[in-house]
Amino acid sequence: MSAEAEILPIPHVARAASAGSSVALLRLRRVAIAVARPVGVFVPVFLFATFITFLLGAVTGLSPAYVQLGDAATPAAVARLNHQWGLDQPFFVRYWSWFSALLHGDLGKSWSNGVSVSELIGQRMTISLSAAGLALIIGIVLGALLGILAALTASSLLDRLITSFVSFISVLPPFVVGIALVAVLAVGLHWLPSAGYVPISAGFGPWLSHILMPALALSLETVAAIARQLRAGLVGAYQQNYVLGARVRGLGPRRIFFVHVLRNGAGPSLALLGLHFPNLLGGAVVTETIFALSGFGVFASQSALRGDVPAVQGILVVSIVLVVGFNLLVNILLNRIAPAAARGI
Amino acid sequence: MLPRLIRLPAFWVASGILLLILFLGVFGHALAPLDPLKGSPAVLASPSAAHPFGTDYLGRDVLSRVLAGAPVSVLGAVEVAGIALVCGTVPGLLSVYLGRAFEWLTLRIIDTLIALPFLVFAVAMTALLGNGISQAMLSVGLLLAPVFYRVSRAAALQVSSSQYVEAATLAGASAAWVLRRHILPKVLAPLGIAAAGAAGTGLVIVASLTFLGIGVQPPAPTWGGLLASDLGYLDYQPYAPAFPIALIVLTVVALNLLADVLRDASGQSGQVLLKKRALRKAAKKKRRVLAITRAVQEG
Repeated sequence: MSAEAEILPIPHVARAASAGSSVALLRLRRVAIAVARPVGVFVPVFLFATFITFLLGAVTGLSPAYVQLGDAATPAAVARLNHQWGLDQPFFVRYWSWFSALLHGDLGKSWSNGVSVSELIGQRMTISLSAAGLALIIGIVLGALLGILAALTASSLLDRLITSFVSFISVLPPFVVGIALVAVLAVGLHWLPSAGYVPISAGFGPWLSHILMPALALSLETVAAIARQLRAGLVGAYQQNYVLGARVRGLGPRRIFFVHVLRNGAGPSLALLGLHFPNLLGGAVVTETIFALSGFGVFASQSALRGDVPAVQGILVVSIVLVVGFNLLVNILLNRIAPAAARGI
Repeated sequence: MLPRLIRLPAFWVASGILLLILFLGVFGHALAPLDPLKGSPAVLASPSAAHPFGTDYLGRDVLSRVLAGAPVSVLGAVEVAGIALVCGTVPGLLSVYLGRAFEWLTLRIIDTLIALPFLVFAVAMTALLGNGISQAMLSVGLLLAPVFYRVSRAAALQVSSSQYVEAATLAGASAAWVLRRHILPKVLAPLGIAAAGAAGTGLVIVASLTFLGIGVQPPAPTWGGLLASDLGYLDYQPYAPAFPIALIVLTVVALNLLADVLRDASGQSGQVLLKKRALRKAAKKKRRVLAITRAVQEG
């Protein structure tokens, strides 16, 4: 909520074109800055986040002995298993070996069954990513549609209707929406299956029917955020002097909208999308439980409840990588549509 | 700000609902008409005089369970907002005063906390720290702290570069005095807005965690836990989730409304709002006076 308030519309600065080879040089420099700056922000975030992740596992004092042996764990057995898993080494030695393995894509082995964590997560990622990806698409399309419609009809009845609808859905948490959808669409109307997953190889229709409700439940927050921010951004952009200038020069409303207004007004909502991506991943934990999808969210809560530290650490690392990667992508896009944003980060 | 606040009707609506919810949160256990843990043979009964919200799959009275679940859910949200307030505001204010190293460190930590997938991390932290309600509160509170950090830091930065603070410092005021006298009053309104928002988010997150069975073990009733057990019996009682859902959504709506009202009353837009209202009122009065004078003249 505060993030929305902090992102201000960024005026689009026309590219300064100078002659000859200096243009190419300038462009190269700008691309380099556009890439280097977000990397400079995200590398510390990645290092800190992985360190916190490892620290979390280390301070819990959990041991594979309790996961595997349960109440039957004798001190001797605990010590033996701890030695076997290398847990009797100093903290930083363990951290370094964990971190260097992580850079090679090896997330260690699950304490409960000894299977490689990367493999376990990889199996489940398709389900989670198809739900989150569809949610992202619904969020962008529906959010943009509502936002643009509200901005174009600003302060009309339609605008007020859209704004109040958006305020309403923004307070509905994903798991509430999910349960309501199951109760209405699956149990009440029998339109969609209430739970389970069918891979896309079994046909697009069945796949979509299983994935649609979880995606819808996840997407509403994004829809609300995008619609709100886009409306504010577009209304703000329409009040700028360059829009008046364009109108005076006789440009058509369509050209003004696409070239002048949308490009400048869309920046903040795109930045907001990057901030909302973690919520999409986090919401998966709950929606996957509701819709009985065995994705990585369910894996996260089950591993956490079992005390399977390497699995939980692996999940956190994967989600951090996804979030950081997505934000990097958003930043690069942001630089493409509004070069002035490159200076603002 | 307070006189402006009490003139907005939305403030009374929001605080009325919240006081009611808070009352449920404090006295929920005592209000429950039946034992929330005791089953009966009347399994999955529809709402009736004896069980206004019906009974669940073990024949337990749903109304009693909703009421008895209120303390964890409501007070949990308040507690989470309080932890986040302290853990965010203190480093936020100090980051302006304690030098570059502290500033850099806290900023990176806050960046990291924002980048983390919230619910995944809350689930992992709570379960790994021992799966209790206080662990859940602590982890959710820490994860919500960035909002308060940013708000207090922004306000402190803005005020500390202003001329009256410079003048106070030149006149020999200590950092603590400046903080208390000049910065705290400026920060209060944005902090209140953030706290209302954080309590709403906290309520939803605590409900999500208890829905997953993390933080509070069944059969202890919570709003999230009620939803989890309703989910298995949707075929028989598709209306059952409506009771906890209605309470959760009502609370979140009221908290958001409170945040909006605080924002209106503290900022420029609130003054515009109130001025408009005053103008409307004046116009109405003028019309009435005119109507009376006309009536007197005619009659």
